[in-house]
Amino acid sequence: MTTMSDAPPRTTQPRGSRRDHRGSWVPTPAMITTRFMELRKRRGLMIALMLVTIGIPAVFLLIRLLLHAIAPHSYGPAGGYDIFTGLVAGVLYVFGFIVAATLGATAGSIDLTEGMFRHLVVTGRSRLSLYLARIPAGLGIIVPLVAIGFTVVCAVCVFAAPTQLNFQGTNVPTGLSQAGLENWAAGHSNEVICNFGFNVNGNPPAEIGTVLNAVPCGNGPGPSGAVVKGPAGSLGTPQPSQAQIKDVARLIAAKDYGDYSRTFLYPSTSLMVKTGLWLELEAIVGFIVGLGLGSLIGQRTVAVILMIVLEIILTPILSRAHIAHLINLQRAVVGLAVAHLEPSGLGFVFGGGGGPDGGRGTSLLVPESTTVAICVIVAWLVGWTALGAWRMIRRDA
Amino acid sequence: MSTLTLPDTSPTRESGSHWAVETHGLTKRFGDNIAVNGVELLIPRGCAFGYLGPNGAGKTTLIRVLLGLTHADAGTMSLLGYPVPKRRAAALARVGAIVDEPRFHGHLTGRQNLQLLAAAREPAARERIGPALERVGILHRADDRVSKYSMGMRQRLGVAACLLGDPQLLILDEPMNGLDPAGMHEMRDMILSLVAEGRTVVLSSHLLDEVERTCDAVAIVDRGHIIRQGPISELLAGASVVLHVECSEPDRARALLEGTPLGGDIELGQLGLGITLPAGTPRDVIAEINRVLVEGGISVYRLQQIQASLESWFLQVTSRLGATE
Repeated sequence: MTTMSDAPPRTTQPRGSRRDHRGSWVPTPAMITTRFMELRKRRGLMIALMLVTIGIPAVFLLIRLLLHAIAPHSYGPAGGYDIFTGLVAGVLYVFGFIVAATLGATAGSIDLTEGMFRHLVVTGRSRLSLYLARIPAGLGIIVPLVAIGFTVVCAVCVFAAPTQLNFQGTNVPTGLSQAGLENWAAGHSNEVICNFGFNVNGNPPAEIGTVLNAVPCGNGPGPSGAVVKGPAGSLGTPQPSQAQIKDVARLIAAKDYGDYSRTFLYPSTSLMVKTGLWLELEAIVGFIVGLGLGSLIGQRTVAVILMIVLEIILTPILSRAHIAHLINLQRAVVGLAVAHLEPSGLGFVFGGGGGPDGGRGTSLLVPESTTVAICVIVAWLVGWTALGAWRMIRRDA
Repeated sequence: MSTLTLPDTSPTRESGSHWAVETHGLTKRFGDNIAVNGVELLIPRGCAFGYLGPNGAGKTTLIRVLLGLTHADAGTMSLLGYPVPKRRAAALARVGAIVDEPRFHGHLTGRQNLQLLAAAREPAARERIGPALERVGILHRADDRVSKYSMGMRQRLGVAACLLGDPQLLILDEPMNGLDPAGMHEMRDMILSLVAEGRTVVLSSHLLDEVERTCDAVAIVDRGHIIRQGPISELLAGASVVLHVECSEPDRARALLEGTPLGGDIELGQLGLGITLPAGTPRDVIAEINRVLVEGGISVYRLQQIQASLESWFLQVTSRLGATE
């Protein structure tokens, strides 16, 4: 039987201790750790977050590992550079943002919907500090989750990378110098001439055209249909010597060395570090904006839906459609700003298709300087924090 | 193990105010509706104070304004002598409150919910979690999730949350809700023990009987106004005197009494007469009623003065208000 017992023996406790700074806007470590506990104990939410940030890439890579182990000729290696860029730019970037926004919206609204906000306000603690305590607590969850998911991707992409570099449809040794690639090309002249890209402005010199037309690719002599090397010649042209063929192969290899040197079996350490930081930035933005929006609206579901719409629909459209009158508005979209900070070497987010070269010249994104992008991100972080905190301070409890 | 501390109950400490709660002209509007209308409320320290009113009278709104959960549109107020909202943090540091139904994070245990609240208070509050849980009688369920708690257990947890700050003032809104009779009895004892420790307890409740048993003074609020306030004994002294008379020939007895200048309302009941005399009627009038009946040949089997209760007084006051509309 439960009873309400008498008061326990009393001891003198200091009142109004100097350690009691409840009017301060700075949250205490205890507030942060208990808020962290409150979020971490939400099993359903935590399972969903882990499934999306870790589970999806892990399951995808596991299936690829199994398929490659079962039928290595039919299914390529599980890891490698291409898989890395695809998972990072296609999965972790978008889902990381949504997951972070979901956590943020939860942290921003759940005290209100579950009736705890009133209890917290009655403690006399500054409402601003109650709000700010959620930021490190939430980031303490989402940052490690994204890091774990990203680490899984990196590990598989490095350790299960292809053993040979597939460059333009041809298996090529890795790490060759330009001279080395030219020498290798001389030894594999037919493959190089038939498969490597080789575009020249205008018509190629006659001796090169002769070689291109004479080398058998596919069903007949000359380059295959997909690779246009130059003007078609007649079959009656004189056959080039073996030395001429090797010279042309060397020439093509020299032209393509730039692309080759930027093609990797797996992502470099530098790229992985930069990409990891970039993904964390995206997650932090998602969390802070979700927190502010959740606090502003006062409920989670609508906030999460709005964040998904922003990330999945609005941002891709506004990032790629060049609308002259709205160009500055488009530049103010945080997703575009974060996309502009994408590490070179990744495929562009939102289908820009920059490819492994990371060449900015091929980006389809609305142009924006790095400085502007950083300013936009900072403005979003500060603005949504201010909005969320303002609403929490002004809200009737 | 840390324990709850004994507050200093001298009226001049800290703020020098004799009043635990003091409001002047406090007003809160929701659009055209005035929920709190120029409330003048004085609650002395170290007592149990009942705050009564019909549904929609503005009880909870006043509590919310006092606690800073919503802002006031006009007027001044102070808690424990600290002007609010100017020194709200200092005031609330010594206040514990349950407003409406106590709700907590259902996925956390009772102890974890208290940890969350204690973290927002002073560091010593964390050491009071165990004693507070023990005091309200849910220490054995402290590590169960709150979603598994009954309504009564949540009420107890709400009181435990109030005790974390070692409060000088507790404001409890309907604390008896969801409690079984034994639980209500324990809650009443606990409130009395809190008052005995020198704390002030403000009890908002519909259970007038409980308020009467627990509180020293009350205020009645209606449509945002405080219409009566003071010690219960003084207020009941101003209540009507009700007599119950069991006698032979009740009809003739009624006619006899109506023919005298004694006054009062006389109702004919199944077992006799019910006589309501104005407040302040001297006891001699009761003897005179008996004399009139006996001399009129009526056999008086029983003549009893019904002790005025808070409930009957409350109903009298509120019915008078309704009659004047």
